[in-house]
Amino acid sequence: MTKRSYATVNPCIMCQPMGSALAFKGIENTMVLYHGSQGCSTYMRLQLAHHFREPVDIASSSLSEKGAVYGGRENLKKGLRNVINRYNPKVIGVATTCLAETIGDDVPAIIREFKEEEGIGNDPEKDIIIIPVSTPSYGESHVSGYIKALEAVVRRFAESHGEERAVKNPNGKLNLIPVESLSPPDVRELKEILEATAGNYIFLPDISETFDAPLSDNLPKIAQGGTPLSEIADMPNSRASFGLGIVSKNLALEYLKESYGMPGYSVPIPIGLSKTDTFFMELVNILGCPIPEKYQKERGRLLDAMVDVHKYLYGVKAAVYGDPDMVFSLTTFMLELGMDPVLVATGSKSRDFGMMIGQIFGEIRPELAPVVLDGIDFDSLNDAVSNCSPEILIGNSNGRYIAKARGIPLVRVGLPIHDRVGAQRILTVGYRGALELLDRITNTILEATDTFTAPVQAEPAAYDGLRFERNV
Amino acid sequence: MGRQYPLTCDNNSLAGAVSQRACVYSGARVVLNPVTDAVHLVHGPIGCAGYTWDIRGAKSSGVETNRSSFSTDMKEIDVIFGGEKKLSNAIDELVGLYHPPVIFVYSTCIVGIIGDDLEAICKTASQNHNIPILPVKSEGFKGNKSDGYKAACDALKKLIKRPQKEVAGEKKPEVSPEVRNPKINILGDFNVAGDVWLIKPLFEQMGIEVIVSMTGDSTAKSISRAAEADLNLVQCSGSMTYLAKWMQKEYEIPYMSASFFGIEDISIALRKTAEYFGSKEMKKKVEEILETETNRIMPEISRVRERVKGKRAAIYMGGPAKALTLIKGFAELCMEVVIIGTQTGQKEDYEQISYSVRNGTVIVDDANPLELAELLVKQEADLMVAGVKERFIAYKLGIAFCDFNHDRVVEFEGFDGFVNFAREVDASINSPVWKTVRQRTLKPETMKPERATIKERISGEPREPEFLHRKLDKVTENQAFGEASR
Repeated sequence: MTKRSYATVNPCIMCQPMGSALAFKGIENTMVLYHGSQGCSTYMRLQLAHHFREPVDIASSSLSEKGAVYGGRENLKKGLRNVINRYNPKVIGVATTCLAETIGDDVPAIIREFKEEEGIGNDPEKDIIIIPVSTPSYGESHVSGYIKALEAVVRRFAESHGEERAVKNPNGKLNLIPVESLSPPDVRELKEILEATAGNYIFLPDISETFDAPLSDNLPKIAQGGTPLSEIADMPNSRASFGLGIVSKNLALEYLKESYGMPGYSVPIPIGLSKTDTFFMELVNILGCPIPEKYQKERGRLLDAMVDVHKYLYGVKAAVYGDPDMVFSLTTFMLELGMDPVLVATGSKSRDFGMMIGQIFGEIRPELAPVVLDGIDFDSLNDAVSNCSPEILIGNSNGRYIAKARGIPLVRVGLPIHDRVGAQRILTVGYRGALELLDRITNTILEATDTFTAPVQAEPAAYDGLRFERNV
Repeated sequence: MGRQYPLTCDNNSLAGAVSQRACVYSGARVVLNPVTDAVHLVHGPIGCAGYTWDIRGAKSSGVETNRSSFSTDMKEIDVIFGGEKKLSNAIDELVGLYHPPVIFVYSTCIVGIIGDDLEAICKTASQNHNIPILPVKSEGFKGNKSDGYKAACDALKKLIKRPQKEVAGEKKPEVSPEVRNPKINILGDFNVAGDVWLIKPLFEQMGIEVIVSMTGDSTAKSISRAAEADLNLVQCSGSMTYLAKWMQKEYEIPYMSASFFGIEDISIALRKTAEYFGSKEMKKKVEEILETETNRIMPEISRVRERVKGKRAAIYMGGPAKALTLIKGFAELCMEVVIIGTQTGQKEDYEQISYSVRNGTVIVDDANPLELAELLVKQEADLMVAGVKERFIAYKLGIAFCDFNHDRVVEFEGFDGFVNFAREVDASINSPVWKTVRQRTLKPETMKPERATIKERISGEPREPEFLHRKLDKVTENQAFGEASR
């Protein structure tokens, strides 16, 4: 359609509580409770179940009209009590919704009261830990909800060490904290890399098991896996923090930096060649260790593959959209492959996004002039697509309408992906992730342009006469 | 049997529970969203519109405006200063861009708190643009899903126009309706995967015009004509009985409940309709239709029945109407129902359900995932019928699953729909995957030696070892295996 200033058509972001669940679900033995009305939990569970194809339990304080008028104090307390009784979690992440925020519930105060009433102390060893995070739907997006929840978690565990902000028992570990939700295999890949380099590390949040659980003999109430609580508590003792993502501000990393003077390095999410290179280089710089042979070989294979496909990809016009940091790294990779990302967009509002994308273009392909948009919805993306005429779309499932309408293929990455299987298995980070992505992009283009599989192969008309002769 | 405890239902969900229920807004959205040419504008923060964007498989035979998600995307500043201006601007903008014949404006939680006057804005906008712009009062916290159904029906009420002749003062003729071309509405069919398109032709063959199906594949225009009907057939009772009762009172249109799922219920629905209109010819036609159609699908149904009979089904649905009709459907496939539950059933519904199931069936209201998981195991269910959120609980437990909700992609209504359903039940229950997933860890000591596998392969079907021993003496047996393993 045309330019709109008031109505949003087909949103390209989700709301903050959703992001908080993506973060909390990566912590060992943690339940999530939304303080708000019932629908929030149901809708977000549905969204996550569609994407990860796992059971997703999120409780709700089920605020009713009475609660909305007189405050949600009793509902929240009752909710916490029930969650503890039924699920027996070690941690409860309490994310507020727009309703709870608008009626002005002081959630931290209610939780303090609840803990007093129930005799819950502050001993992280034996007491249940309740972590509130303020995530109204009317603020920013799921990306900020994710970042805020991680900060709340790190802060809460750090504070359980006591008031004094000093590193007590240096553990020599490296903290790894992404600013956007990565897929389970992404987390596994990064953990493997850290295993091979740092050895000692703490990855927060670790959804590699909780959102991609194997079929096992029992169905635990809370999915197994997640970052162990002892490790989260140990984070302030680490030698440095490593943040993944540079467009959004990494609040957890900033907190550790400010409160503990911990060195914090933020690098782009390692998608594609150069961004994975950066990741390894920084890692090696911090740790002073060599790059393991295994990854040199993987890098070599990626280079080999990039050479193999360079002709198929050169100049292919692409549109990419999604969460800002993922899009930033994806765009870089496409430029490295010789593609022409004519349209680069994110649903989040971000002042830095356009500047950073511009910089990347300047470094790799200054001659290209992309359209870069932030804070978009899919309707405005559609307008942009019709102006830029890309040959391929790269992003989450919600771009399928545009892809279908324009008759161009869509390579699915990001969240949500609910119309294809395997969303929980898509690997994009590291050299292996880049290889898989490269194969998928190239094969999608080949499939779309392959004349061999076209239904009819017609012989040029000029040969008709010859054949006639022969038949006679 | 011990003491009987009455089942409590229609309560609000317990705080802290992981209820499968949703909110008022979700109830309203489910009911109205299939109106194909409407702009469904959600006045609230982005989440509510985002999570309901095209998540239901209601099909349209015309425009598909309803598949887009419209929102005012309220931000903090709108919460502080009020969102009225943004809303009315958004309406103006969308009218200019999409020219819809109707706009439904849904209110969400915070709208109810900050007190934006939706009615006034909609009224003014309606006058400005000369189209119905209808407020749907669906603040998430003001009740439960059922209240959302009601809010949706209230909006639909405003779309239904008084038929011309009545306006002229002509009272409806008191004669039996058979003299005229009979007309009906189908209430509570959302055309999921095209369900309605398998039902409408049946009525058309009977000489009945289906004015509108509410709300599956409906348009503002077709809904506006609803009051011309002689009879309303109500399928989804939970959402539409309210509207049917209103139409009875307002337009003297009687209603009957009906279900178009399963051979028995379709037969009842068609016969009851013919009975109502009283025409001999129509009754004869119904019997003809039923005979031809039943004969047509019976071979396939019988084939499936042989493969699934005696299997145990668990039903957990949103509304009670679907649950009830499913019990019959499973009976037609000779399957047993061992668990039955709904999110929004009322006391009478559960009474009716209890009459239609056998002893030992567990009846639940608003179950949470842990309870469902426990029940599925305890009741030894082979198949669960529910929505997406429950799917993965069943899968993790190694239980087959059939999606009967709005997300499904094949029709389940009508004769061909029942065949689809039977096939899906068969495909899920009889997939070899359930046998495979019984052993979840590889234990070398429990593995049959390679030889045993070969033994089975040679004798075709897997058989008991004794059977083989009787047939073959030891020497030839060993030789045979020696051959095969080479």
